[in-house]
Amino acid sequence: MQNILALMLQTSINQTSPPLPADNASIWHHMADALHQSFDRILSLLIAILPGILAFLASLVVFSLIGFAFSALLRRGLAAARLDEHLAHGRGNSDWMPSTSPTALIARASFWACVLLGLIIGVSAFDASYATATTLPSRLLPYLTRVAGAAVLLIAGTLVARFLARSVLIGAVNEQLQYARFLSLGIKWLVLVLTAAMVLDHLQLGGHVVELAFGILFGGIVLTLALAVGLGSRELVSRSLERHSEHSGEHSAAPPATPPPGSDDSIRHF
Amino acid sequence: MATIYPISDSATPSAPPGNGLLVLLAAMTPEQLERVLANLTASFPAEELLVASPNALPDAISADAHSSLRMVAAPANNPAWTLTAADFVNACQLAEKNDARAILMLGPESGSFGSPALRQLANAVLATADLAVPCYDLPPHAGLANSAILYPLTRALFASRVRFPLAVDLGLSLRMAKCLADAARRFTAINQGDAPLWPVNEAMVAGFAIEQFDVCPRVQPQPGRPDLNIILPLITGSLFSDIDAKAAFWQRFRSLPPADNSLPLPLAPATDAAADIASMLSAFRLAYTNLHEIWSLVLPPNSLLGLKRLSTTDAAAFHMPESLWARIVYDFLLAYRLRTINRGHLLGALIPLYLAWVASHINITASGTDPERHIEAVAAAFEADKTYIVSRWRWPDRFNP
Repeated sequence: MQNILALMLQTSINQTSPPLPADNASIWHHMADALHQSFDRILSLLIAILPGILAFLASLVVFSLIGFAFSALLRRGLAAARLDEHLAHGRGNSDWMPSTSPTALIARASFWACVLLGLIIGVSAFDASYATATTLPSRLLPYLTRVAGAAVLLIAGTLVARFLARSVLIGAVNEQLQYARFLSLGIKWLVLVLTAAMVLDHLQLGGHVVELAFGILFGGIVLTLALAVGLGSRELVSRSLERHSEHSGEHSAAPPATPPPGSDDSIRHF
Repeated sequence: MATIYPISDSATPSAPPGNGLLVLLAAMTPEQLERVLANLTASFPAEELLVASPNALPDAISADAHSSLRMVAAPANNPAWTLTAADFVNACQLAEKNDARAILMLGPESGSFGSPALRQLANAVLATADLAVPCYDLPPHAGLANSAILYPLTRALFASRVRFPLAVDLGLSLRMAKCLADAARRFTAINQGDAPLWPVNEAMVAGFAIEQFDVCPRVQPQPGRPDLNIILPLITGSLFSDIDAKAAFWQRFRSLPPADNSLPLPLAPATDAAADIASMLSAFRLAYTNLHEIWSLVLPPNSLLGLKRLSTTDAAAFHMPESLWARIVYDFLLAYRLRTINRGHLLGALIPLYLAWVASHINITASGTDPERHIEAVAAAFEADKTYIVSRWRWPDRFNP
């Protein structure tokens, strides 16, 4: 026990123990030295990365201001050129028309493009100024870009899934298919499952497990839809197919049709 | 023998028609062409007419029968059941090239268009009117899309009593033709020559004179593929787009010209209305179940409540109030402008509501009401609610229960 204590206190067993206040002073002195060294290391680390952070922030702010000015100029120019009116006359019913005006979209896109450019340049400046041998940050930075790409994939996939689901729902309802909502949900989940698989693959998570699970799930959804439509709604599908074949057989491409004689009692929408 | 002068690019000017009238025909069969030429000869026996047709004149047509007609070849367009932007551009070009003062555009199946009607339209545009529009005499269950949407909207917003804003036969003055050609070139410039145009709206905005004439029953051309799911969104979307472009005009108060009390004569109501209503009502109820959340993005709670009540109403008592239908159309017009949802989806979601209106209309006419009276009531409801669409157009975010 005395040996352990002596060892912990770093004193010789045979030596007479020094006076107590002098031992405490050297302990505190050592602790203070260790603390000072830690602070020095932190400060030197901060000094090393602070310029990089400042460069990143400065790049982001400068390019945001440039983007703001550029988008304002672009908005004024496109408004003067009446881009919205020209496009509205031409593509009024297009399925892919966005919900906001083209001028606003282009202006916003140019602003965010400048912000993104500032972000990229700022990250490059940060990476260049942060000189260190540690491997974790050098691996973390490229992965952050993958995460950003995966987020974009997820957003795009969700939007496409919602659009397709709504298109299928409205089309199926107008064709008077009773399973319209089921069909719409199936399409939506097909696209969402595909999107999730792409996102996980992009993030390099799961590996073959994700691929296998996606294949099983996707195939299962498709098989379920096919069985439901093929077996459960045979009569409805055959009726709608007969209606389509009747229309294509009765009406040809060339001159507009004349209603048959004596058909004054039929409903004609046009 | 009627002489054909093919249009060439040379600078040789052709002699203007005797009375300044150019008749532009649509593509038709040789039998139809013979009937049209016979009607034109009977209508204008002593006047030389310039007739433009994309069809080659058959050899079987005799020379003496149509000696007053001078025929030229017109550019062939894609056959359509209504007048398109390309038709108006061709009409203006032909009129300018041949120094015509007025144009008579006859659509498909115009062989059934009688001589008195031809004479009326021609006289109107040669004398005082810029736009002469026929008022067709249709069976009670024909032209329902026009009765439900096109006519009420045009009447309420553009203060015009033209019963058929998308008529297939028109009389145009030269300045009206130029105005329509300018509007049509926006579509032909981007290869959309098949897009429909709205002559009545253009004439009202330009301040031109419009006259309407009752004509005898005419065989109405039908779309090659009469799929309501394709044509109704096309026509309605075109009208909505035109209304959006002319918002500065129709938002001002304009009084409607007095009615001339020359409504088309009603015919006997249909006998198989019950079966037609059943299919339309089932379509509406299916749509109510599945499209309710899409309708809730466009329609206010009051309209949704009205639709909920309708969805639980029996077929025999199914009646859509005129004010409800007017509000629905106006809300869809506003959503079209604001792009609340994708425009294709929006117009697709309107189809079941239109079918519900048709079912209601059939029910009302089957109960003994004159179809034209009901259509006039619908148009009056649109006029009464014009302040609603104007206020919502200007302040779309205002509270709207």
